[in-house]
Amino acid sequence: MTGEALLSVRDLVVRFDTPQGEVHAVNGVSLDVGAGETVGLVGESGSGKSVTSLAVMGLLPAPAGRVASGQILFDGTDLIGSPERDLRRLRGKDISMVFQDPMSSLNPVITIGEQVTEILRAHEQVGKADARARAADLLRQVGIPNAEDQLVRFPHQFSGGMRQRVMIAMALALHPRLLIADEPTTALDVTIQAQVLELLVGLTRDLGTALLLISHDLGIMARVARRIAVMYAGFVMETASTVELFANPRHPYTVGLLNSVPAIDDRGKALRPIEGAPPDLEEPPVGCPFAPRCAWRVSSCWTEMPPLRPIGEGTADGSGLEHEAACHNPVTAEEVRGAAPLRPGFVPAPPPAAAATASPEGPA
Amino acid sequence: MSDAGGRGGDGGRAQTTDGALLEVQDLRVHFPITRGVVFRKTIGTVRAVDGVTLDIRRGETVGLVGESGSGKTTIGRAIVRLYAPTSGRVVFEGTDLASLKGAGAKQVTARLQMVFQDPYSSLDPRMSVGKCIDEPLKVHRLGTKAERRARVEELLGTVGLPARMATRYPHELSGGQRQRVGLARALALRPSLVVADEAVSALDVSIQAQIINLLQRLQREFDLTYLFIAHDLAVVRHISDRIAVLYMGQVVESAPTDVLHDDPLHPYTIALLSAIPRPDPEIEARRTHIVLTGDPPSPAAPPPGCRFHTRCWLRQKLGNPERCEAEPPPLASVARGHAVACHFTDEVRASPERAAVRVGGSSASA
Repeated sequence: MTGEALLSVRDLVVRFDTPQGEVHAVNGVSLDVGAGETVGLVGESGSGKSVTSLAVMGLLPAPAGRVASGQILFDGTDLIGSPERDLRRLRGKDISMVFQDPMSSLNPVITIGEQVTEILRAHEQVGKADARARAADLLRQVGIPNAEDQLVRFPHQFSGGMRQRVMIAMALALHPRLLIADEPTTALDVTIQAQVLELLVGLTRDLGTALLLISHDLGIMARVARRIAVMYAGFVMETASTVELFANPRHPYTVGLLNSVPAIDDRGKALRPIEGAPPDLEEPPVGCPFAPRCAWRVSSCWTEMPPLRPIGEGTADGSGLEHEAACHNPVTAEEVRGAAPLRPGFVPAPPPAAAATASPEGPA
Repeated sequence: MSDAGGRGGDGGRAQTTDGALLEVQDLRVHFPITRGVVFRKTIGTVRAVDGVTLDIRRGETVGLVGESGSGKTTIGRAIVRLYAPTSGRVVFEGTDLASLKGAGAKQVTARLQMVFQDPYSSLDPRMSVGKCIDEPLKVHRLGTKAERRARVEELLGTVGLPARMATRYPHELSGGQRQRVGLARALALRPSLVVADEAVSALDVSIQAQIINLLQRLQREFDLTYLFIAHDLAVVRHISDRIAVLYMGQVVESAPTDVLHDDPLHPYTIALLSAIPRPDPEIEARRTHIVLTGDPPSPAAPPPGCRFHTRCWLRQKLGNPERCEAEPPPLASVARGHAVACHFTDEVRASPERAAVRVGGSSASA
């Protein structure tokens, strides 16, 4: 799919320089988003999902954050190393972003109307009156009542859900080809979350905008994404079509994640959490970062991170999307249900002697 | 129900229904909205909790769900006496909490503990983990220094932390570890009731599952009763025996967990169930969602009649009957243990929306 992908992230490595040392935030992520496609990036805190998206936007906090290696190809052009002037033209016009907290992404002392018109006027030759009329249209499109009257109001006069609608209106104002939405509904109440999700999905579909949706919520992924990449400690662990990933998870981390979610349908069934806690990203990764928590680990897991490679004989849903996992010892279908390795006599490989001194800190 | 009897120094004895560990009766907590610094005047009232009645039996887990501003946290805080009720009663182990003063209050409230959402802001950053867990023991003068130290170690073990954690400080711990410390501290005084306010909401899913399992193990081991407050209906459903759904300071529906899921009768409960994304793409593809219009109104100016009427999907379908605006529906019992506050439960029962929520649920995926 690399050929025609709108966005193609290749072996992206992102580091943060901190007084405590180097943080290994993203460790070689590859990811494609096709034109008009909806891709989900799922992972827990510290998995590198937000950092990946900030790198795509060229918004890594300077000077601490930097792309150490890799490519970010947008429509065939590598954004890394592109002059800031070009990036600025791209951001907002071709790629735009919606963040989790709309209050901190909106300027509190400028009216909503000015903030929306600013985007239009920054990228296009439009007169003030025209821009205002279009701003009102945009607000109407995202379901804000009395749009004209709202233009003169300030962000604090809006509720959380309304603010997120304004952000979506701004992000889609110039009909970008890619929208990155980073936990866009996490701060909202469930009923409002449903409204905003519906709006986001509907508008991107109507405009033909590709959507890279970042979330920790597997339920939202199941609802919205066509394809999902699961991240852990700066690596993509598994990627597949949404239907395939939920039906046939093959990476032990994905299996653990799915078993950790209390499903509303099977009350009383004990949750099977992943033991332990995510690794310290200040340590350079050696081997698979999930190995210390993994029940399926074999000895090579401690020393060598496997590449993301095709797995299984095709997909359950016939979508033709490749199912890939980065695992030395993938989970089999029978093991998914038991949430444990079933091969007789299998024991998780003990850490090599050198690593044994750095004993884990007990449970999370 | 008798009134609080003798208002003695150590608390009046009040009659309780059989087996209820905690009874909340017509609880109201209102906060004044003030203006001005020197001449403060009250210009309005936020009715955070407005007439909530709730029983919790010994050993059970009652879930309290609602969105922000529904009053769920305020109820929890009023129960552990962090807020004074404006009116109504909270009766715990037969004692009306309002009547308690001094040493008697300390004794009773020791058995009533709270775990907070954010273990970072609820733990003193300058206190080591050991000191933090020791603090309640010290305040209640339980044991000598050596005994207390042994107890702290035991508590750490109970929540699955190694004893050496006692010398660590909160910032050195992960979110899950901090929540374990918060639990150890809450357990220190051997409470009978623990109010868990969004206790797992801030945690990552894999860690959240660890803490949920821990909460359930502790409940069995120490015979605990939980009031589990959360906005996440899936988590609440997993852990609770009974659930009360709050909207704008009032209970709109309460029922045993399975009944609430299989037989929801309040339009708001149905909307909530419909809004929760399920971690299953096949269910998601089949489901129809009820998307509520608008935001919840301000609790400073609750709508008249049924508070949900401004957003109710059923009322819109019924052609906006006047009754919803005119008359607040009482929380009425419809079956054993199942109470609903809606004028149109028959119409809810017959609605395709309710059927859709149920089809999207257990019956279809089983």
